[in-house]
Amino acid sequence: MSKELEKAGLPVALISAMFPVAQQVRANRIVKGVSIPHPCGDPNLSKELDARLRREIIETALRALEAEVEGPTLFSPAIATGG
Amino acid sequence: MIKIVHVVNQFFAGLGGEEKAGLPVGVIEGSAGAARALETALGGDAKIVCTIYVGDNYFHEHKEAAIKTILDAVRAAGPEVLVAGPAFNSGRYGLSCVEICNEVANRIEVPCVTAMHQENPGVGVYREFANSRLYCLPTAETITGMTDALSRITTLAMRLARGEEIGSARKEGYIGRGIRRLEKTDQRGAVRALDMLLKKLNNQPFETELPMEIWDDAPPAPALAQVKDRNIALVTTSGVVPWGNPDKFKTYRNTYWRKYNIAELKELEPGKWEAVHGGYNVAYMNQNPHYGVPLMRSALWKRKERSVRANCTRPITSSPAIKVRRRSCAASVRKLPQT
Repeated sequence: MSKELEKAGLPVALISAMFPVAQQVRANRIVKGVSIPHPCGDPNLSKELDARLRREIIETALRALEAEVEGPTLFSPAIATGG
Repeated sequence: MIKIVHVVNQFFAGLGGEEKAGLPVGVIEGSAGAARALETALGGDAKIVCTIYVGDNYFHEHKEAAIKTILDAVRAAGPEVLVAGPAFNSGRYGLSCVEICNEVANRIEVPCVTAMHQENPGVGVYREFANSRLYCLPTAETITGMTDALSRITTLAMRLARGEEIGSARKEGYIGRGIRRLEKTDQRGAVRALDMLLKKLNNQPFETELPMEIWDDAPPAPALAQVKDRNIALVTTSGVVPWGNPDKFKTYRNTYWRKYNIAELKELEPGKWEAVHGGYNVAYMNQNPHYGVPLMRSALWKRKERSVRANCTRPITSSPAIKVRRRSCAASVRKLPQT
């Protein structure tokens, strides 16, 4: 889906916990998600940390949209993930 | 006596060349035109009950009507197997052969055989369909390969008509569809894997049992100079949809997308949204739909302070557990809102 959108000229930030698969199928702007049941945040963290993580993931996705890329590129949110 | 229906274009029906490419679907009893050679190749055990022809242009310009007429004709004839082509390297003809076979195989559940050159655009579509009842044999580029093509079509068609088991593409010589099949062997997987590994280490050729699909690159879209004043669409396969699942998504193998308006929402409230998905535990997502649909205005507002405004006013486009092939993805993309 993201590749077809990119082909149509729209930059896509693909947030995925399965980022190795996204790389394998050659998506262009890949944002590292946390985990399959909760890619955009982490319920194991405290409320505050989870909110910071979620914000960081969105920020990373927006940065990916603003980045010129040559091919499949992985963007990693800066905050350490996991419990 | 085995009954076969043969589908050809206007040329092979003997009705004319490019000037007749607009001919609608027609049915001729028995075999017809250049296609008579198929009946000869079949010998005495099978007969062509009818030849269905359609103009190369007509099919692609009136696909729905053409397919309907063809399906009716095939149902009326009640064949054991359908043959389309061979199409060699004729693009429109190859595409129509594959599309007709796919419909017949799906709707009437009759096995189908077609044949064309490897570079015919029909081959790409055939691979996308990956229809277990549809077989495409490779041919030469031009009609000079007719005799060989007919003999291979005949052999495969007769085996299908008799209900014989057809082996792998590699063994049988049809063009691979990317379907993984179960096979019985006398050696355990561990032994086979080690054999392959040893061959690999010794730089000897070996054949994998699980060929991986090779994906082509999509040229990256240009970056947004800045996200300020841009509309951003949220597209998700997390399965997050309004509570009650109004569009009746299944938990697996969905084939459509729906848009939900989030323009006025500050956040997705738990209890108003639910995740419909059979592929992961949706408990976290139901507690907080933002784990799947990262609508977080505060994050976007933060960027506003840095004089960047991301405007999240487009609806989310949602489809749980999407099971679509790339062709239908492209069709979905064309229907998405412009941003």
